[in-house]
Amino acid sequence: MAAVAPRIHEAPDDLLAAIDYCYEQGWTDGLPVVPPEVARVKAMLAADSRPAETVIAHHPATGLDLSLHAAAVNAVMAGCLPEYFPVLVASFEAMDRPEFNFHGSTASTGGSAPLIVVSGPYADEIGMNSDVNLFGPGNRANSTIGRAVRLILRNVFQMIPGISDKSTQGNPGKYSFCIAERARGNPWPLLCQAQGYAAGTSSVTVFAGGGFCNVENHGGNTPEQILGSVADAMANYGCITLGQSVVILAPEHMSIVGGAGWTREQAQNFLFSQAKRSIEGMEGVGKYRDREYDAQHGDGAHALAEKGFVHRGLSPDDILITMGGGDAGGHSCFIPSWSRGRGSIMQHAAVRRS
Amino acid sequence: MQLYAPTSTTPKRKAFRAPPLASIDGLRLGILENGKLNAEEMLNEVAQLFVQRNGCTIRTLASKRNASAPAPGNTLVKIAPEVDFLLTGLGD
Repeated sequence: MAAVAPRIHEAPDDLLAAIDYCYEQGWTDGLPVVPPEVARVKAMLAADSRPAETVIAHHPATGLDLSLHAAAVNAVMAGCLPEYFPVLVASFEAMDRPEFNFHGSTASTGGSAPLIVVSGPYADEIGMNSDVNLFGPGNRANSTIGRAVRLILRNVFQMIPGISDKSTQGNPGKYSFCIAERARGNPWPLLCQAQGYAAGTSSVTVFAGGGFCNVENHGGNTPEQILGSVADAMANYGCITLGQSVVILAPEHMSIVGGAGWTREQAQNFLFSQAKRSIEGMEGVGKYRDREYDAQHGDGAHALAEKGFVHRGLSPDDILITMGGGDAGGHSCFIPSWSRGRGSIMQHAAVRRS
Repeated sequence: MQLYAPTSTTPKRKAFRAPPLASIDGLRLGILENGKLNAEEMLNEVAQLFVQRNGCTIRTLASKRNASAPAPGNTLVKIAPEVDFLLTGLGD
């Protein structure tokens, strides 16, 4: 169906009054937005060489499309600079794949938020933070790219809190949840390399994150001790499901894991094999289901799936691990997936330079 | 100051409700369960009420692999000729 022309609103020339006008239209996430003045939107659109009406994502439940133009309007409102726009576009190109299921992960009581992980040189080029205070606050690119994702879900796809977004509790990441992968001192291939992109190409990985769990360990000094703490967080009864996981190792923890020569694959295997609960334990908290156990232990089961136990995820590949954060502190994090299962599978896309 | 609306430029989709059934007595009933805990059990219980009270016949049980995604088109196409109405709902 052909798109209609973008609608123009005549708002007060006074900036504060224009901000109030945006509130009155219901266009905000609760915080003030930058009024999407026409010239700023055009400057944002110049960051992508394709026609403004190009559709980059489609909402299956309502039939609403996200055009580059609508993305640019919301990017301006979030406070993005034009150079951030390619990351925002790549995020929605990845989220648009059916496997990510951005409708379900946004509408659900589960309260997840799209985590955006930017990998590769473009993150540095636009001044993203991969270092101290990784998850914020303080960095304009991280904060506003993540915020633009939320504003698009709200304004373009009409995922309105309390109406079509029925999160029981939500999570703070629903304001903004965007980080850069730390390259400095990272002993492992960057995600963009592991994902198979050409040298110099950056990527965006999207993951429907159900929250944030800090993993503190200042006493461990072996990979098994550090990753054992992470695995325990992954397997806590409140979090364990067949869903995927994101683990961001702090540099201190990575120096222990990578310093001992462990590869990403070894770490993934260790976490998958250790992040588990017995059938009896799962039954004890009322979370055991035959169907889920069979999915993990039936045909095609991974060799590390131990009989009698429910692991987190279906295989080690379900665990994304990389490094981020400041040099000091034994604080890594585990980010659980949305809700109970595999309703959303993480995706990635290349950052397109115009 | 001129501002662009941040909303989609897609025209509103026209949605139509199916015409209501004149009666459900003796009709063929399908169940579409969404895979959530207890969904199948709950919907079967409800379906039995239609069997007992209205003489309906349960003809098919279809499952969604993803509770939160729309039912796949091929699932609906397969079910449609087999039933007169479909029972679905959340289960937890």
